[in-house]
Amino acid sequence: MVRRTLLLSFWLVLCAASWAHAGATVVIVSSERSAAYGEAAQALVDELERGGLARAEVLQLTALEFSGAGPLTPKLYVALGTQAAQVLASAEWRAPVLCTLLPRNSFERVLRESGRKTSAQFSALYLDQPLSRQLELIRLALPEARRLGVLWGPESQGQAAALKALALARGLELVEASVGRDELLFPSLKKVLEQADLLLALPDPQLYNSSSIQNILLTTFRARVPLVAFSPAYVRAGALLALHASPTQLGLQAGLIARGVLQGKTLSATPIYSQDFSVTVNEHVARSLGLKLEPAVLSAHLRRREGTP
Amino acid sequence: MKKQKLRVLFLTRRRVGLLALLAGAGLATAQTPAALELALSERDFLSDMPIVLSVSRLPQRLDETPGAVTLLDRDMIRRSGARDVADLLRLVPGFQSSTSFEAGAPVASYHGAFERFSARIQVLIDGRSVYSPALFGGTGPGLQGVALEDIERIEVLRGSNSAAYGSRAMLGVVNIVTRHTVDTLGLQAKLSGGENGVRDVQTHLGWGQDGATFRLALDRRGDDGLSGANGHNQVKRVNFRADLRATASDDIQLRAGGLVIDSGKGYSDKPTSDPLRDRSFESSYVQLDWRRILDVDEDLALSMSRTQESHRDNFPFSLLPRFRINDSIVIDFGGRTRSDVLTLQHTARHGTDVRVVAGGEIRREQVSSKPSFNTEAARVTDFTRLFGNVEWRMAPDLVLNAGALAEKSSDSGNSVAPRLMLNWHLAPGQTLRGGMSKAYRPPSAFEKYADIRYFYRGHELPGPATRSSGRVQPESVQTRELGYLGDFSPFGFNLDVRAFHEQAKGFVEGTTGQPRDFFNGAAFSIKGLEYQLKARPWGGAQLNFNQAYIDIDSSVAATAASAPKRSSSLTLFQQLPGGLDLSLMHQRSGMAKLVGEGASSRFSRTDLRLGWPLRWASKRGELALVVQNLGSPYQDFVSAFRFQRRAFLTLKVEN
Repeated sequence: MVRRTLLLSFWLVLCAASWAHAGATVVIVSSERSAAYGEAAQALVDELERGGLARAEVLQLTALEFSGAGPLTPKLYVALGTQAAQVLASAEWRAPVLCTLLPRNSFERVLRESGRKTSAQFSALYLDQPLSRQLELIRLALPEARRLGVLWGPESQGQAAALKALALARGLELVEASVGRDELLFPSLKKVLEQADLLLALPDPQLYNSSSIQNILLTTFRARVPLVAFSPAYVRAGALLALHASPTQLGLQAGLIARGVLQGKTLSATPIYSQDFSVTVNEHVARSLGLKLEPAVLSAHLRRREGTP
Repeated sequence: MKKQKLRVLFLTRRRVGLLALLAGAGLATAQTPAALELALSERDFLSDMPIVLSVSRLPQRLDETPGAVTLLDRDMIRRSGARDVADLLRLVPGFQSSTSFEAGAPVASYHGAFERFSARIQVLIDGRSVYSPALFGGTGPGLQGVALEDIERIEVLRGSNSAAYGSRAMLGVVNIVTRHTVDTLGLQAKLSGGENGVRDVQTHLGWGQDGATFRLALDRRGDDGLSGANGHNQVKRVNFRADLRATASDDIQLRAGGLVIDSGKGYSDKPTSDPLRDRSFESSYVQLDWRRILDVDEDLALSMSRTQESHRDNFPFSLLPRFRINDSIVIDFGGRTRSDVLTLQHTARHGTDVRVVAGGEIRREQVSSKPSFNTEAARVTDFTRLFGNVEWRMAPDLVLNAGALAEKSSDSGNSVAPRLMLNWHLAPGQTLRGGMSKAYRPPSAFEKYADIRYFYRGHELPGPATRSSGRVQPESVQTRELGYLGDFSPFGFNLDVRAFHEQAKGFVEGTTGQPRDFFNGAAFSIKGLEYQLKARPWGGAQLNFNQAYIDIDSSVAATAASAPKRSSSLTLFQQLPGGLDLSLMHQRSGMAKLVGEGASSRFSRTDLRLGWPLRWASKRGELALVVQNLGSPYQDFVSAFRFQRRAFLTLKVEN
């Protein structure tokens, strides 16, 4: 009798737990538990709360935990980061999946590896900034720059054609060099710096990483060529300028999209870039190069150019 | 029965969960670690980066520098066709230079060549002070320290700045910065040959990759010198540099090198006191620099170096004419020196408006020369220095630089050299500078302890002797200056003007009587105005025009004639069609005793250079024709020596 009660209560607890899981309306899967993912998740949950969803209805798991969790029946999955996107891509879920906090290259790789296609059931909100917006910022901040230096690596090479077209449309010339896998960076960098007015860094871990950044920044600075990068960490290191979206900004926009889904809208079949963004400037480097750049003014101008308030 | 079934079900579910967990983990590590690292992910956007352009790496802007600066970049060095840094410095307003090796190496002085050694400017090569204790603290050999091809730029500060550059920065500072090893990877070679026995061979090899790059540079520079002089000379150099990144915030640079200058000196009409002979000057050094980035606004730099010199200059003196002894003794001017330096410097930015540099240095100089000091023991001088400079942006258009150097010398007691400069941007591109500073030069070991005696078989001979009473005190210069910097880039030119009043006190002089002694001479002043105009008048052209008006007000005629009342130089660099590069340099100097010897003279010199760029596959090069002094020969160093026209070809290849 006692044993039966114990077993029954054990089962009840288990069922209650899985019912609680099953009751989650939105499941957020993070690649890791670190700060950036936490900020994005926080912003997302805050936005959902503003939309009337109780905090308890949002379940946050890491990618590892998700693989071991029981059956879940939410109305929407949100993947934060590449690893989470990979995990959610591995099977068909009955609810739509929104992948965010990952760059376009990563999302496309996830699609390739899982054999899926982007659709209203599996879409993304990209972390990286559209090339057109980057070129607009360059024109605003450095109007005299005519020749853009770019180094293409194995991961960024795919954007070469698109950038060329966009640059041409704005009357800008590209000074390019490709660096193959395992090739040395410096001969190409030196060649590009001979003619470029600025160096636009497009993310590629083989070219831009914590080991190579020192020599890249010292060499470009010696040549008086500013570096335009893609994250505030590079600006702190010595890049002049960066256009980026913070995890909070992405979380907020994901939250808005999530609210839409919960109200019955569908995800955009084609992935989208973030609407909001930040501009960071290294004012010491700017002063050294004889430039005066105000991040707030640049952001405002950029937003006006895009037609968003 | 039912219980068992339940238990089995539970176990199965848990096992499935465990398997799924493992599968998930397995999926995560399915890609190899290397491939994962090279695949783009959000990590590239979200991870931290080490700080690279830290506070001490960002130089001051030209219009906020507390002084008048002339920058000689690689392009200018190449196009000038100069073969020595001293010769290149003739194109900087206010400088006087000589190409003679009579004093050991060509010298350049600023605002007056008061004697032949030029000890009143500070010459630094990558932060190491390169004056020669063996040669009265002269800077000639120091200017020969690195090959021109290894130089990234030369920053010439026209004006004293002991607070930032150490004592000896009395009248000016020449800061030679060598190229970073990352910029000189591969092999490069240069050959020059032509008239006047010009035979130069230079090469450097760079290797390494991210975080550890190296360069070995070797060169030999030789020619027949000035006509009328025993001027054959040859300079041989080797320089090694390594740039290492120990951690994300630690940078280490190692340098080592050697220099040998073999030159002829002496006069055919002075067979007893200064006969024709060969002399040799050797120097070697080792230098270690460590920089640590503490924060984006704070760095620490430690520097250690040792420099050794040995100077060989002697000749036999026959005792027959004067003493009726059929024998001779050796008159020797040689010696050896060693300098050890340890410097610690801290740079910090406080907010956006204040930057503070502070540090300390200890230096030990040892000079040994039995013939000069009458003792085998070395003359040791210990220096302890503390320096600091505050750069304060008081208002968006007003920058104050206030600094001082406090020096304690085991020889000459204590001194404090302060400096104050205000930069006011009265309008965009227009800056006014004003300030004052004081600088000291401690007397050289020779000036303080010279004791020259001549012995024959143990007996002291009566004869010209030098015996320093040791009464010489440090020299000082007090400078008041006003400057203007105008950036008219939209019109294609910029202008830098410096008006100065330099009060010199106690410049060391030698007595004319016997025995010779050293004393601090009478005070005098150097007043004047100098300006440099840089313009881009038409496509592909760069025009530099300098003028310096210097008035030395001294009761001693020789001192007053040490700098020309007016000197000018005009340089034109023109890109010609076909990639050809033309340089025309014309320099004119009024009456002056160029290195404080002989009669005053005036001169003018025109140089021409024509360069053709070359290209084969991945290699680049240049063939250049240089003609120095197209006009008539002019007096250089003493009346008997003449700088004649010489033409030579230079071939450079690099990849």
